[in-house]
Parts: sequence; structure tokens; C-alpha cells
Amino acid sequence: MKGFFDYVPGSSYLHRLNPLTKLLLALMICIAAFISANHLFLVMLIVLNLGIGAQAGIFTRSVMLLKGLLKLCIIIFLLQVLFIRDGNVLVKLPLNIFITDGGISSAFMVVFRLVTATMPLALMLSITQINDLSNVLVTKLRIPYPYAFALTTAIRFIPVFANEMTGIIEAQTSRGVQLDTRNIFKKIKLVLPLCVPLLITSVRKIEGSAISAELRGFHLRTKNSCYKKYAVNINDICVIMISVVIVGSAILVNSIF
Amino acid sequence: MIHIENLSFRYKNGRKPALDNISLTIHEGEFLGIIGGSGAGKTTLSYAINGVIPHHFPGDFYGSVKVANTDTFDTTPGRLSLKIGSVLQDIDSQMVSSVVEDEILYGLENFSVPGDEIEERLLSALEAVGILPLRYRAIDSLSGGQKQKVAIAAIIALRPKVLILDEPTSELDPKSSEQIFDLLKELNEKYGITIVVIEQKIMLLSEYVKKLAVMDKGRIILSGNVRDVLGHSSELEEIGIHCPRVVSLSNSLRDRGADVGGVWINLDEAEAGIRRLIYD
Repeated sequence: MKGFFDYVPGSSYLHRLNPLTKLLLALMICIAAFISANHLFLVMLIVLNLGIGAQAGIFTRSVMLLKGLLKLCIIIFLLQVLFIRDGNVLVKLPLNIFITDGGISSAFMVVFRLVTATMPLALMLSITQINDLSNVLVTKLRIPYPYAFALTTAIRFIPVFANEMTGIIEAQTSRGVQLDTRNIFKKIKLVLPLCVPLLITSVRKIEGSAISAELRGFHLRTKNSCYKKYAVNINDICVIMISVVIVGSAILVNSIF
Repeated sequence: MIHIENLSFRYKNGRKPALDNISLTIHEGEFLGIIGGSGAGKTTLSYAINGVIPHHFPGDFYGSVKVANTDTFDTTPGRLSLKIGSVLQDIDSQMVSSVVEDEILYGLENFSVPGDEIEERLLSALEAVGILPLRYRAIDSLSGGQKQKVAIAAIIALRPKVLILDEPTSELDPKSSEQIFDLLKELNEKYGITIVVIEQKIMLLSEYVKKLAVMDKGRIILSGNVRDVLGHSSELEEIGIHCPRVVSLSNSLRDRGADVGGVWINLDEAEAGIRRLIYD
């Protein structure tokens, strides 16, 4: 998932929204995905996610995110299809395994939900600066600063650790370790020991970050310390209304179909 | 300003003391350079001054460290940070934000600097280290040297009374390194900020600092005026510190009885000294 959580600078309509509005939009899409039991509606939400990506100028990243989720979706789809036995039997397989129409329907539902619920949060993080997110969590939602800092630091460190792991893998590859093997079991066996140096460097970096924050007055911060102001304007109100409409539509579609 | 008395520190689970009976006084407005080989205890000493030791790293702590009459043992690193600004060795882990502007704002916000003053401090800090065009850049997209400048800008924006920098030019090219030291010199001379720099580039250090302290195995083995310390180049070589060649040359000539008129610390001084030896 390297790179999917990095902030992409921009000045699009979505970039300029209040961070809280972006967070709300992302959460509402997730909620709508879990409320809805309609395949078509979920597909429309995925298209909406791609539309959000296009508007924010990160369409390619949105598509890459979809591709990244593909492997996980295939695994979940197969498990659902093979082990859910509701509905009419379509195919009988050895070992008393059946493929049913209910299983296929359920598999599509789970996969669509997974994609619909994952994309908005990743897209939101791509168009929101981590500090802005932390600031609104503290100033608007009154979340204690240490918790907001921990959350945003965890998000910020994802690409840092991904880069670190890439560096370790490259170093090992240059020493002749065949990490490009196609045998998944062999690959796991080779990669697992690399988690130790990653863990050590990760702990060291987190410790350094904690010291750095402490040495710049981390514990002196109050909820009024934030310099930037995050006003809610007409654009935010429009997006909040759209978010409510999305959830309302999910409920409506559920009640109709 | 900083008064260290009989300071010894051994990290928890450490076999040997990282600092061994150190006594050092750094006066207000001083520009001190600390040199030493790897594992000499330089970073640990900087941690002892800014309060990270003993508050963050547990261990056996003896002696006392006082910064502006405040005993570091009795206060927190956060409170001390109102007086001491620290630039750490590992620049990547020093960053707490994802954008340059936010990185500078972080400390200013924590210290509750008034809003109308923040913008001015932000701009002057960015300008001072020459990274104003990078204001809105993502930190991940910066080079190591640019990150180092951001880290320094983030600290000087806080306008501390004491500045401790642990290898602040380790990822900088020679020109940028000189820029940073020019800035430190200006902060020291213009604003009277006490500066402590840990550095491996002795030639650069000796051009700027007023005093030098040499560490080895957790002890300060030499300290004093730059020329006095560099006058012991053979002792420094013994502990793995390589002095600039002009320094070694002037010391060799002195040891052979030549009147070199004090240690040469740069090429200009060496040239003038050699001319004098030849023609006088």
C-alpha cells in the first residue's frame, strides 16, 4: 500500500474543503456502503470514489488503489463463493463443496463493500495534510492532542516504514538473496527475517520522533495552540449535504429493494 | 548558562558508562564545538543538556546539569525546550509533520506564540536557512540536506537561548554546510545565542567556534580555545580524530622548533605562516 496514504498537494475543490468535511464525506460513504445491500448502489459508490479521485486530480492513484485491493478481493471472493451455501446450487465440486447463487451474490456484496469502504479513507488522506487532520480532531472534535498526534503519526509513518522495508529488501537483494522468487512460501521464509531490522529501525524512528516532539513542547500544547483556522464555508455545507444524501439514498434503496 | 558537574550516566543494561565524570561550563553567548569518535558520548552529552537524559532514557545518573540555573533533573525536557532548542542527529525521525510549513509551525504552536508573530517567525526562519521556496513542499519529497535545513529552521523559529545541534551538516554539501555555520555564527554574534555543535568536520568547526571540547570514552579529554585544543593534534590522532593537514603541519613544525606563531587552522594562515618562516 506504499504511497496510497501520502499527501498529494493540490488546489482542487476537494483539497480546499475543511478537513472535517472531508473526513465526514469519507465516513458517510463508508457508512452507506455498510448500510446498503444493493449491488448496483455499491458499484455506484465505487464510481463515486473514482469520481472523487478524478476531481482531486488523483484518478491514477484511485485506480492503482483499486488494483492494490484486487488480490485481497479475489481471495475474499473465492472464500465466500466456496463456503456460503445459501440459495440454489449452481455447481457441485469435489469434497462436498457447492457454488450457489447466494454465495456468488454474497461474495460480490462483500467485495464491493470492502472496496467502497476502503477507498474513501485512503482518498481523504491523499488530499488532506496530516497536521490539518490532527488540528481539526483537537479543535473541533475535542479529541485530546496526544491521541490525535498518535493517530496522525501512525498514518505518517506508513510510507516511512514502507520505504525502510524497500531499502532493506534492496540491500538483501544486492547481497544475493533471491527475494524475487515466485514461490510464495519461499518468499515468506526469506522476508520474515527482514522484519527484525525493520522493527529495530521502526522503534528507533518512533523513539526519535517522540524525543523530537517532546523537545519542541509537545506537552505544552493546549487545544487553543493551533495557528491555522479551519472555517466551514458554503462548499463544506454543500458536501455535508451530499454526504447526508448518500447515506439517505443507501437507506432508501434498502427499503425499496 | 550551562553548568555540568561530575556528570556520569550509564544507560539501563549498558555495561560501561556513556558519560564518565564530566564537568563542563558553557557561558552565555559561547560557541562551543564538541568533537570525538563514534561512541565517545557526544550525543549522550547533548541529551543530558536538553533533559532527554534522565527523563526519556532510563539509567544510572550521577552529578548535575544546570541550564540557566534550572537543574535538568527537576524539570521536564518540554519545559527545558523553552530555553534549549535541539537539532537531533537523525533528521528523518525528527520530522513530526508531512509539510515543511507545518514542521516549522509545530513548535511555535506548542509554545503558544501569538498568531500575529507566528507568520513573521515562520518566514524569517525559512529565509535564514534559504528554504523559503520549499514552504509548501511535502517533507518526503525533500533531499537529506533540505530536510536538515528544515530541522534547523524549525528550531531557530523558536528563538531559544541555547541551541544544541548534533551533526547538523552530516547530509549537506560543503557550500550548504558553510551556509549553516554562517547562520549559526550570525545567531551567536547578533543575538547572543549560546551554541553547542557536535560535528565531525573539524576544519569547518575550527573556522567558526570559539571553544572546542574533545570527547573520548565518555570523558572530556581536552577543552578550551580552538587553537589550544588543535595544538594537541598527535593526541587527537591517537583517539582517531584526524586534524586538518594544515593543523598537523604547523604542529609538526612547532615540535621541530620552528616559530609558527600559533596553530594554523586554514590554508590562508598556513600560507602566511610558511611565507613568514621562509622570508623572516
